[in-house]
Amino acid sequence: MNWLGAAVDGPLVVIRAIHFAATAILTGTLIFRAVVAEAASASARPAAIVVGTQTLRVAWTSLAISAASGMIWLLLVAASMSGLSFGESMTSDVLSTVVNETQFGRVSEIRLVLAVIIAGCLAYVRFPLARGLALATSLGLTAALAWTGHAGSTAGEMGILHLTADTLHLLAAAIWLGGLVSLVLLLSVSRRDQTPAVVSFARDATQRFSVMGIAVVVVVFATGIINAWILVGSWHALIVTGYGRLLILKVVLFAAMLLIAAANRFWLTPRLALPSGSEPQYEAVHRLERNSMIEIALALLIFAIVGMLGTLHPAIHFL
Amino acid sequence: MRRTTLAGLIPLLLLLATGEASAHAFLDHAEPRVGNTVATAPREVTLWFTQKLEPAFSTITVTNSAGQRVDTGKARVSGSQMTVSLRSGGAGTYHVTWRVLSVDAHTTDGSFSFQVSK
Repeated sequence: MNWLGAAVDGPLVVIRAIHFAATAILTGTLIFRAVVAEAASASARPAAIVVGTQTLRVAWTSLAISAASGMIWLLLVAASMSGLSFGESMTSDVLSTVVNETQFGRVSEIRLVLAVIIAGCLAYVRFPLARGLALATSLGLTAALAWTGHAGSTAGEMGILHLTADTLHLLAAAIWLGGLVSLVLLLSVSRRDQTPAVVSFARDATQRFSVMGIAVVVVVFATGIINAWILVGSWHALIVTGYGRLLILKVVLFAAMLLIAAANRFWLTPRLALPSGSEPQYEAVHRLERNSMIEIALALLIFAIVGMLGTLHPAIHFL
Repeated sequence: MRRTTLAGLIPLLLLLATGEASAHAFLDHAEPRVGNTVATAPREVTLWFTQKLEPAFSTITVTNSAGQRVDTGKARVSGSQMTVSLRSGGAGTYHVTWRVLSVDAHTTDGSFSFQVSK
């Protein structure tokens, strides 16, 4: 398959996109639960419990998808590394070489252990210690992705800069996407239950998320520039290579997300402070929810592009 | 709004979907240098790449002018550098063929030659 002048390995791209998105949603959801929802929940206990249950379900589902897609990803990479067909490469010889002797295999092994720890913690999520450990471990699960990609193979001191930038980029993107999913759940609860306490819970949570959102956008943007500088290197490479063109598309989608986020932040969020139960306030909650869903759709498109970018040779190698 | 956003992307995709990038440039440099002539048969060949390599899936094959393999087999990898020892193979054109896996799981291959004058 050829797309934007880049040869695309279909199954690998799809499984990467699914894995990245599921992992990001897991981490972002756990952060949202810790930072936003729990901190804002004192005013509206029952609604907070509903949101807590729903976000926990999202965390379990995304963990399961992340683990399953992660294992399929390892098998696809093993086949590609061995140079054999998928069927021929599924031998204990090839798999043990990949798992034990390559960076990708070792990182996958570590990440599988992290996923198991997260599952254990989610099972005991009523204990604060388990919640904290689940959150910390899921940050590791997302951050470790940097070592599976281009950043993991950049040589020398530049490699340290690249890994640092990529780790922060992954974490910030995860906080954004996972937070949006949780925010939509919370807004939908508050739309159905218009009591002042619930509406003020939604307002508090939205405001906290939007403060976190500004930090996240700054980090995504700054680290994205560092990554692009290392992997693309020039305006020319950005324009003439498949990798560069996909990156342009990714930035366009990012800009669209930013516009929506700005509308949410400066136009809709202040309206949540209007009298509870009033029509404009209900309308604002409804629009926030819908806008956040559009942002999620754009974010998933970005993850599909990320699925592709990682399988391509970076633009800088072509020139 | 989602529909209009997506519709707006289509012309952009068409605009972007032209041409195809080619020519991989993963081999940074080699010793003996690519295409050069050296006085005596070298004891080893070293290749420097643009990315870190996975030893388990990276190989170099070196043949002399008679087409016989003169490398000793297992290449040594250190970061983005890979070395293979050679047996004496006489004068003539040596061919170096490499297939390497970088740490980010991309496989690339290529070949070059150098001359040995005596």
